[in-house]
Amino acid sequence: MGLNLIFWILCFFVDLALLSSNFYQLVILSDLEADYLNPYESTSRINFLIVPEFILHGVFCALFLFTWHWFLFLVTLPLAIYSAKLFKEKKHLIDVTEVFRALSAEKKIRLVKLGFYLFLLFVVIFRVFTAGMILFYSSKFGELDIRSSFLQF
Amino acid sequence: MTPFQSSGPVVGSDTPGLRPTAPSAPQSTTPFSSSGPVVGSESPGFRPVPPVAPQTYIPEASGFRPAPPARFNDPSVPPPPTSYAPPNAGPFPRFPTPQFSSTQPPPSRAPFAGQPPFQPPPAQVPPPQLPLHLQQQIPLVPMGSPPQNVNYAPASTNVAQSPSDSSFPAPRPNFQSSFPGYVRQQSSADSQAPPIHSPFPTKQGGAPFQTTSSSPLVAHQVGYVASPFGFQSRDHLQHPSSGPPVGAIQSLVEDFNSLSIGGSIPGSIEPGVDLKALPRPLDGDVEPKLFSETYPLNCGPRFLRLTTSGIPSSQSLASRWHLPLGAVVCPLAESPDGDEVPVINFASSGIIRCRRCRTYVNPYVTFTDSGRKWRCNMCSLLNDVPGDYFAHLDATGKRVDLDQRPELTRGSVEFVAPTEYMIRPPMPPLYFFLIDVSVSAVRSGMIEVVAKTIRSCLDKLPGYPRTQIGFATYDSTLHFYNLKSSLTQPQMLVVSDLDDIFVPLPDDLLVNLSESRSVVETFLDSLPSMFQDNLNLESAFGPALKAAFMLMRQLGGKLLIFQNTLPSLGIGRLKLRGDDQRVYGTDKEHALRLPEDPFYKQMAAEFTKFQIGVNVYAFSDKYTDIASLGTLAKYTGGQVNFYPNFHSAIHGEKLRHELARDLTRETAWEAVLRIRVGKGLRFTSYHGSFMLRSTDLLALPAVDCDKAFAMQLSLEEALLTTQTVYFQVALLYTASCGERRIRVLTAAAPVVTDLVDMYRLADTGAIVTLLSRLAIEKTLSSKLEDARNSLQLRIVKALKEYRTLYAVQHRLAGRIIYPESLKFLLLYGLALFKSTPLRGGYADVTLDERCAAGFTMMILPVKKLLKLLYPNLIRVDEHLLKPSAHDDLPSIEKRLSPSAASLDSRGLYILDDGFRFIIWFGRVLSPDIAMNLLGPEFAADLSKVILSEHDNEMSRKLMRVINRLREKDSSCYHLCQLVRQGEQPREGVLFLSNLVEDPIGGTNGYVEWVLQIHRQIQQNP
Repeated sequence: MGLNLIFWILCFFVDLALLSSNFYQLVILSDLEADYLNPYESTSRINFLIVPEFILHGVFCALFLFTWHWFLFLVTLPLAIYSAKLFKEKKHLIDVTEVFRALSAEKKIRLVKLGFYLFLLFVVIFRVFTAGMILFYSSKFGELDIRSSFLQF
Repeated sequence: MTPFQSSGPVVGSDTPGLRPTAPSAPQSTTPFSSSGPVVGSESPGFRPVPPVAPQTYIPEASGFRPAPPARFNDPSVPPPPTSYAPPNAGPFPRFPTPQFSSTQPPPSRAPFAGQPPFQPPPAQVPPPQLPLHLQQQIPLVPMGSPPQNVNYAPASTNVAQSPSDSSFPAPRPNFQSSFPGYVRQQSSADSQAPPIHSPFPTKQGGAPFQTTSSSPLVAHQVGYVASPFGFQSRDHLQHPSSGPPVGAIQSLVEDFNSLSIGGSIPGSIEPGVDLKALPRPLDGDVEPKLFSETYPLNCGPRFLRLTTSGIPSSQSLASRWHLPLGAVVCPLAESPDGDEVPVINFASSGIIRCRRCRTYVNPYVTFTDSGRKWRCNMCSLLNDVPGDYFAHLDATGKRVDLDQRPELTRGSVEFVAPTEYMIRPPMPPLYFFLIDVSVSAVRSGMIEVVAKTIRSCLDKLPGYPRTQIGFATYDSTLHFYNLKSSLTQPQMLVVSDLDDIFVPLPDDLLVNLSESRSVVETFLDSLPSMFQDNLNLESAFGPALKAAFMLMRQLGGKLLIFQNTLPSLGIGRLKLRGDDQRVYGTDKEHALRLPEDPFYKQMAAEFTKFQIGVNVYAFSDKYTDIASLGTLAKYTGGQVNFYPNFHSAIHGEKLRHELARDLTRETAWEAVLRIRVGKGLRFTSYHGSFMLRSTDLLALPAVDCDKAFAMQLSLEEALLTTQTVYFQVALLYTASCGERRIRVLTAAAPVVTDLVDMYRLADTGAIVTLLSRLAIEKTLSSKLEDARNSLQLRIVKALKEYRTLYAVQHRLAGRIIYPESLKFLLLYGLALFKSTPLRGGYADVTLDERCAAGFTMMILPVKKLLKLLYPNLIRVDEHLLKPSAHDDLPSIEKRLSPSAASLDSRGLYILDDGFRFIIWFGRVLSPDIAMNLLGPEFAADLSKVILSEHDNEMSRKLMRVINRLREKDSSCYHLCQLVRQGEQPREGVLFLSNLVEDPIGGTNGYVEWVLQIHRQIQQNP
């Protein structure tokens, strides 16, 4: 039971990381558009984040698969496949020479991803609470010491 | 590991001057290897133009808005200081017509000459139609185009309605008055027009025009036609209404003619008939005169050309203009003598700019408040006039010192930029040469030509005495040359560690030319012999590029690369690709035209960042991956010169001339270009060779007169409130003399509310330039066929839209109609289809040639591009046989249309596409001529013969003709290639493929092309 809670809390932080990474990239792209950042700087900052983000998302997706959360696995799968496809075609990085041409499309993609991760965040928060409730609910029926010590750990 | 080889395997016979490197060198230089390029770090060279940078649009204060319209709209308003505007160009809505009627009348009749409806045709292809046209207007329902049928009768009912139509456009009355004889017909035709276009912008956004449903009036007209469909209706109508009065025919003919004089109505062609009647741009590119006459203060068309000088007033109107909407800018275009761009130094007052939109002061700003304020023409903001710049206004509102202020009277000026426009001291002109010395380069003789040319140009390099120069050569190792002025002989330093590139000497590899002149000369003299025994096959191009970058990083400058083989060693090595035919036609096809290794794009970005422009000279007979190499030039404002199968005996002169021009032409260093446009409009995409540094700032490390940039425009607001739109191009650069300058080009264009005006003010040259760049860009992301199709679709859509404007009032169902201004669009579209970057598929052009031509066409100015697309064909044998001693060039300059029909097998022809001359010997050309021109080799294989002057009058005459033709365009050297009729496959590749009007290899000929377009126009969407 406690494991479940920890799993969901882990998911929460992973999703938060993905969400903030996307948000950060979106901010950079907007800055680039408004000429607060130069293309070299902004592409190197974004490109630095892209592969870690892909890996994290892959891990996220795999976590759901291995814990038999079919629904969430299927929800995260398409994005994982899309990312893998981009990576395989070597189109995942932003090209500094053509960044302005791709700007609006890149922004749109990140906006969609942002929405997606936000949705996931709500789902995960909900699951965290359910897991917590179950924990407290079941804790009424004894074994309190073991669980609380587990939580302290 | 010793990174240095002190021996010289590469050092040839006369090497006394080249001492082996001192053994102490490695220690002193190793620190450099650690100082690799710092990716992503903000460098000082990075944002050089703070003053130009932040262009923010603050919404126009509503109080200011009325001013400009009032100025243009209402002549009765007390004259504001518009003294620069000629009185007849003042009120905008009237502007086109007076000019038009006075300048245009007879020529615009041309497209109608020889066309059936107006003169009885001798024998045209669809015979049944023509008598119908002539005998009976009313029942004419030509095959298969139902909705366009309109009766003559409804026209008169329209006349009755017209007075009540308040949206009746103002220009027309003028128009009528200039043609008194045609007033009646004119008004009847015009009265139809408003109901047809006016519902459009408001009611149906960009939807294709449906004449039957768009306005009740037209629907009403259709009611007059018994049945709008096909043959039955023709049969049905033919009998009852046969034989309308002769007068009706007459008036109809006049109606049409009179409209054509006005120029706002189409030229038209009967499809499938007369090849000769099709329009051909045999006079070359004609710049739109109307535009520059209306706005005489605009910069010349050689600097800026708009695809249409009628800017659409609303987004819905813009969406009906299916051609690209934008501009082609050639900021440094060569000025003819006596018309140089004036250089202005505002020493004390600083450069006058609008404080909000940063527009530079220009002829269109207005001074008010007795000269103390000026109103920006772009954003209408009132700015203070600095004290030093103040001048009183005279009674008409003109500044009294107007004649001493070129910036207020001319559209093209240059300002001397003060120190705020620099982030570092202006750089000296810097040339760095990176020369491939592998075995193929030695064998082709390239090194010798290059060395000799550079040596001969040393005196003419711009920027004396600040000019800097440096050299590096490479095969499997890199060789640097110490050219320190205290040395008597250059010193060669060899770096063989390709994985960890470093520069062996901190200074002295890039030297001041005037100080080290003798060392540089010695080096260039010995360069060819140094490597003449080199047998090295490899090419460490990537490492050499990195080394050159490290050397030039401090200053920037121009990097000239002479590459002879496929880069094979170190970083950036490339694979052989492009010979797999199966890739063509698949989705992966376009990848062949993109750089294979991301290294090249990264390097290009780094080069631009540090103000380094790259020009690539490629020479290989085998695949060298121009797609990858050219990327370096594409993003650094450079160019690609490709000499396939280079051999110094044949191509040497061409290389010599083009390299010399590259080195000696006036170059703008560390430049940035921005184009501003009035409120409500925005430039959205840019096409050419440059790198975008922010959304609208083009970074151009080195730019010169042979580069043009195209850009597309879009409307940001649904409706434009102004009557005139202003454009301002600003190029901030360092001149070779070390002065920082801003070249400012200003132009104004009227806002139009009618699609017809947009078409009338269109500029085919600019449209074709933009279309070609868009098509070439499309080949980089999709198949060649897709690129061609989308090009064709655009032309079809544009003509279809135009047709819907006119087909209703004129019974033109069987005809293709187009505006006078776009009469060559079809032909140039066809030529674009057959141009090297877009032509055919795998077998038609080698991949390298295709890519090189693509890179070249992306930077060509309008005139050169049009000539490349539609080459000159001239016949010279008659001229050669003429006994006259002097050459009368006009007589031989009669251009023929490039098609097999203009060729006579007894003749000698020169085909001039602006880059080369192809001299075609007819099969039964008199052997005398051939013998005289070619000497004893006249019977030999012409591919190996080089045209040279022989000792006879005829040969001298031909050379004179060729030289005359060459003089007209000095931007490149026209290499003569000889070809004999029937000599296959060479004739096909060289010559026949340039006959753009002929059907070759599965492509359309001109007539079929017109027919095909016509069919597609007729198809319902």
